[in-house]
Amino acid sequence: MMNDGKGRPVIIDCDPGIDDALAIFMALASDELNVVGITAVAGNVPVEYTAMNALQLVELAGCEVEVSQGAADPFYTKRETAESVHGKNGIGDISLPPAKGSLSRIKPHEMIWSNACKYKGQLEIIATGPLTNLAEALLIYPALKEKISRIWIMGGAAGSGNRTPAAEFNIFADAHAASIVYAGGIPITMCGLDVTNKALIYEEDINKLAGFKSEVAKKSALMLKWYLRFYRSFGFNGVAMHDPFTVAVAIDRTLVKTKHLFVDVETDGEFTLGKTVVDTLGVSGRKPNTDVAMELDNPRFVELFEKLMNAYE
Amino acid sequence: MKIPVIMDCDPGHDDAIALILAYSSKKLDIKAITTTAGNQTVEKTTINALKIMTFLGAEVPVAMGCTKPLFRDLIIAPEVHGETGLDGPVLPEPAYEKSELHAVELMAETIRLSTDKITIIPTGALTNVALFLTTYPELKSNIEQISLMGGSCWGGNWTAAAEFNILVDPEAARIVFESGIPIIMSGLDVTHKALITDEDRERFRNTGTKAGVLVAELLDFFARFHDDNFNFGGSPLHDPCAVAWLLKPELFTGRKCHADIETKGKLTTGATVVDFYDVLKNEKNITLLYDIDRTGFVDLLAEHLEKLP
Repeated sequence: MMNDGKGRPVIIDCDPGIDDALAIFMALASDELNVVGITAVAGNVPVEYTAMNALQLVELAGCEVEVSQGAADPFYTKRETAESVHGKNGIGDISLPPAKGSLSRIKPHEMIWSNACKYKGQLEIIATGPLTNLAEALLIYPALKEKISRIWIMGGAAGSGNRTPAAEFNIFADAHAASIVYAGGIPITMCGLDVTNKALIYEEDINKLAGFKSEVAKKSALMLKWYLRFYRSFGFNGVAMHDPFTVAVAIDRTLVKTKHLFVDVETDGEFTLGKTVVDTLGVSGRKPNTDVAMELDNPRFVELFEKLMNAYE
Repeated sequence: MKIPVIMDCDPGHDDAIALILAYSSKKLDIKAITTTAGNQTVEKTTINALKIMTFLGAEVPVAMGCTKPLFRDLIIAPEVHGETGLDGPVLPEPAYEKSELHAVELMAETIRLSTDKITIIPTGALTNVALFLTTYPELKSNIEQISLMGGSCWGGNWTAAAEFNILVDPEAARIVFESGIPIIMSGLDVTHKALITDEDRERFRNTGTKAGVLVAELLDFFARFHDDNFNFGGSPLHDPCAVAWLLKPELFTGRKCHADIETKGKLTTGATVVDFYDVLKNEKNITLLYDIDRTGFVDLLAEHLEKLP
């Protein structure tokens, strides 16, 4: 039985998104995590798609999780999408069974706040898209700071970016929201490109997945095949599993080695808009606010991914 | 029919007078008050709004808003408004509690429940209005207009280029000015002409109403700052202009203009860059108010104060 109430309570804030889809499947299958809600944001594709994708993915997984449709546009800048990476519908243009249920009537900030209160400081957030919803929640409920135990962010990079030379896509897509979240005072684990670009699965892994018995695994394999074409065009010989890796770290934090560092987000730079400025050497004199993932154990990640995908019937 | 309004404010002496004017008018129906940080911290401006409503015997819901600007540190103005934000007169303690909702949630609820489009009257920094618009974009079309106090076409009051309310949160101002909602801007161009002299103040005191005396006492404190720092020959009643325009637009002279908010200037951050001569031929997003029938404005205030207890 998937997502049967066991494990630590989490809300996934995401923009599915091929890798978001796989991240959702992993989280739902894990006994370590209890997915109590999903908040969708615009990012890889417009929010009407990401929200409906999330709902259809949850239903395909045979689960009941409330999905709230959130921000359609970044907090302060113009909309940025990535159809070339994720397809027009956000999930590699494969089709999923239509949703039987409907989207939640509440907004992400309300869903986050009510669960934060319900779980009395234990709630965690896994954020795999632009941080617009979280920034709004933090501005509307400053007391969230004391009520969320950790945010696991797929976003940013201590090194180079992928949307611009300086910036990773999720942070670039809403740099202002990211600056609010990083400065928000909640413990953060940052899975940036420094690790997620190395969290690779290869064609043979995808073929293996296609042979698993469940519809979840088969659809995942189709999405990954689309994704692989994109990565190969960039000279990667596998798929970088940004969002699934971030969920994996939330499940098992020993998959990464982290450093506790100060991270700020550039919102004004001419060439550096959306860069997560990681103070690796501690030169800023600012108090560290983020556990930045620096190294990973990829074989163990792939093993966990396969184990969880194989749990679907 | 009364115009349904939300007052988004940071009382503040002139905000308090704007609240009193709006409440006393038969033309306006204050559906909600939301508070913002600016003249003082938002905790203090919230208490002040509750005290003013209690003084008036009203129970309009008051919701506290953002504690600081969207991206910047807060600037407050105790030199103008004192430590409480409303130094001077003795006010009753609040007779009711603030709403459990955040300002942007009360705005959303008020707008959803209203059958008529709502007019927002912001007389502080635009943080709440901006956060409301980004969080509830689907409710934007239910806003009739925004009659705000802020900005200026010709020079600032907190820096040489910027007026205080816009300077406190320029990014929020930019979100609001780019929203496409009709904006009526009572900036310094008009509010510095909405001067209350010592003689006008005594006229308010002598209306014989409690409200008249309160307004006179608010102005006693407010005048000190202006007499010490400027040579206006009176106190500019900034915030009540944004209300007065709704009550009696014929008192004002305005022009439709395009305006942008500078957020990155070395000397000009927080300036409302108004294209008064339409050199850019851009879309007109504001009505700039730049002149006022001062005597008519004072009469309007006095008449409303006379009607109150």
